[in-house]
Amino acid sequence: MTRFLWLTGAALLAIPLVLLLRRRLAIVAERYKHISRPSNPFGGLLMFLLPLPVLLAAIGSLLYGDLAGLFNHSVGYSLFLGGALLLRRGLRSEADYSRRQVAKMPWPFKTLGGGLIALATAAVAWTSAGHSPLMSVVYGLLAFLGCYLTYGLDPRIAKRFTDRDGIDSTDRVLEALAQAESSIAAIEQSIRNIHNAEINSRLRRIVGQARQILTMLEEDPRDLRRARKFLNVYLDGAKQVTEGYAKTHGRLNTPELENNFRQVLATIEEVFGEQRQKLLEADLTDLDVQIEVLTTQLKREGVV
Amino acid sequence: MSDFVRKFIGVLLILATVGVVSCQALAAPEPAALATPSVLSGPRG
Repeated sequence: MTRFLWLTGAALLAIPLVLLLRRRLAIVAERYKHISRPSNPFGGLLMFLLPLPVLLAAIGSLLYGDLAGLFNHSVGYSLFLGGALLLRRGLRSEADYSRRQVAKMPWPFKTLGGGLIALATAAVAWTSAGHSPLMSVVYGLLAFLGCYLTYGLDPRIAKRFTDRDGIDSTDRVLEALAQAESSIAAIEQSIRNIHNAEINSRLRRIVGQARQILTMLEEDPRDLRRARKFLNVYLDGAKQVTEGYAKTHGRLNTPELENNFRQVLATIEEVFGEQRQKLLEADLTDLDVQIEVLTTQLKREGVV
Repeated sequence: MSDFVRKFIGVLLILATVGVVSCQALAAPEPAALATPSVLSGPRG
């Protein structure tokens, strides 16, 4: 009992430290937010750190040659790790879901992760910490409640998109975005096989531009109609040319091939820049129209 | 309940369950080490 109170006191003392650490991590994450993944890279970190004593206990059991203890601790830690990984996956899915205007209902990874963590807590409380089965179940339920309160539940509705004709085109939009994402990933993969610093930096710039356009399309899928040529012709063409160059230049390294590829890349970069500008201008035009409509309405009602 | 309070209670619960149970697993004496089962240690004498 004394040990339990001592451990609870230590855990409560650790709260301000954990909160301080979370705040610090949030500041670091905010600093890198605009240049890396939009989701918080430290989301769910707590669930990776807290079960570490169980891993230490498993190592201790291994050192003492305690087979039963090793089995119990290893199973408990594996469950904790599985739950933490599912939870992190759920947090990333949720961040993607929040960022997009059109999205399918994500898999309930957060709920599954919380359930697995609850199971792990109950199992460790019963087999390793020596609590009664009833008390272990209570520990598990409280852990699930803690996960729910901290991380929330998974989104349960799909964000659907209907075009101007009133037709539901969610699947078409998602398919186009997934295809564009796979083309960008293929270009990134080819960069790893090309050993030319100048060409690689140019390709990275092109990938960056393509990602910016894709983000704009994710945020406003109405732009998809305007960017159809970019998705179907330019991006796919850029992927094919880059893959072809990555395969060929290792075997046949001629200056002529390099020059031709450089010229193609310059054209692609220019076209991608124009496409991005076109989408920005379209947004501006939409905003102009909205302002004009609002001004007309205000004038009609005698406000202005 | 505000978002901060909800999250704070959630973190508190996680620390009080996952954190405490993990530390107890590390600190508790191994039952198997205190009373070694004959299956694992083999017959003595």
